[in-house]
Amino acid sequence: MIPDDLDDLHALAGEYVLGTLDPPAAREIDDALVANAALRRAVIFWEERLHGLSRLAAPGEPPPETWQKIAARLEIAAQPRTRLWNSLTLWRWSTAAATAAAACLALYIALAPPAGPRLVAILHAPQQQQPAWLATAGSGGLLVRALATETAPVDRSFELWAIAPGATPVSLGLIPASGRLELGRSTSIRDGDLLAITIEPEGGSPSGQPTGPVVFAGTLVAAK
Amino acid sequence: MVMDNEIVALSSLEALVEAVARGSQPALRRIYEQESRRLYGVALRIARRPALAADALQDAFVQVWQKAGSFAAERGSAEAWLTGIVRYRALDAVRKTSREEPSDDPALGDRAEDPDQIEQIDRLLSRDALRRCLGALDENQRRSILLAFVDGLSHAEISKRLPAPLGSVKSWVRRGLLSLRSCLDS
Repeated sequence: MIPDDLDDLHALAGEYVLGTLDPPAAREIDDALVANAALRRAVIFWEERLHGLSRLAAPGEPPPETWQKIAARLEIAAQPRTRLWNSLTLWRWSTAAATAAAACLALYIALAPPAGPRLVAILHAPQQQQPAWLATAGSGGLLVRALATETAPVDRSFELWAIAPGATPVSLGLIPASGRLELGRSTSIRDGDLLAITIEPEGGSPSGQPTGPVVFAGTLVAAK
Repeated sequence: MVMDNEIVALSSLEALVEAVARGSQPALRRIYEQESRRLYGVALRIARRPALAADALQDAFVQVWQKAGSFAAERGSAEAWLTGIVRYRALDAVRKTSREEPSDDPALGDRAEDPDQIEQIDRLLSRDALRRCLGALDENQRRSILLAFVDGLSHAEISKRLPAPLGSVKSWVRRGLLSLRSCLDS
């Protein structure tokens, strides 16, 4: 559990940066960092403030073949966008998260009026149980809204993407600070598409493909 | 790509990271040329074995390539970001292999037995708030924090090294961090 108490949070973030947490606790922080802005700020605080101490280590000459090895590994790695979307498969969606999302979805579908949305997706952060965004699509178009206050980092934007299985991501646009994005019905999305939100430079990805980390994702399913 | 030419040579580390985020390999190469000696030193101090340190440096640069897009403006310094990536990779490597007893061989850069590292810090971080705030900590807290950050020692390794009971070390680290934070914030 990531503590809410500020002292506890800062001590935990500090120990993460020092490296004194045991590996499971450190992994828990890794997983929580993407979605927990307070934790991220605390970790960055310590990284920024302590990194000067690393000058106590004397510089040294790395083995001469190191750069060649790095370059070879980059060649093997695919193009940036493939890389990013491959990383999605690495997300370890916990059973609990999947169950929570399914329960929410069932409730939403039960409450939705007969003429309501045809497709629904609940987006959440990797390894988080909390549904963070709800996307509903129907004859009126697509509506995506934040279920809690989610803000992009300073000078960055949340960008929404639709990814059909096996296809490259298609940008659906930037999510306004209000946390609500409405799109007309010409938006091309289908049952089974993955909706994902990434952090991009202000104004959106310059390349038209995702460049930043995926912070939320969820699959569109048909609401019968 | 525009960044791929002489502009790369003139760029700040932050600009280079941004260029890497846009897929520029020459920018990554430039970062390597500029930073690898320092970063290898950081990794070697933690990992202690050249082979482990070199692997950590390699993994770190592959990560820089993959994660440069997430180097957001909420971060001030690319140097701190890079150092962090290298340190985490070196710590991972060293926690996975069972580390032999930390060596006191000066050739390995192990200065942990320095009676007072604060002198070295004085020299390296003159006029820095960190130096003042570390100086304000009690000796045990400061040594524990330095052994963790610089040498990558775990609580148990620090407790052996000082030597001091494990419980005391844990509380020195935590209390030291909290004092450091309020001092750095003021």
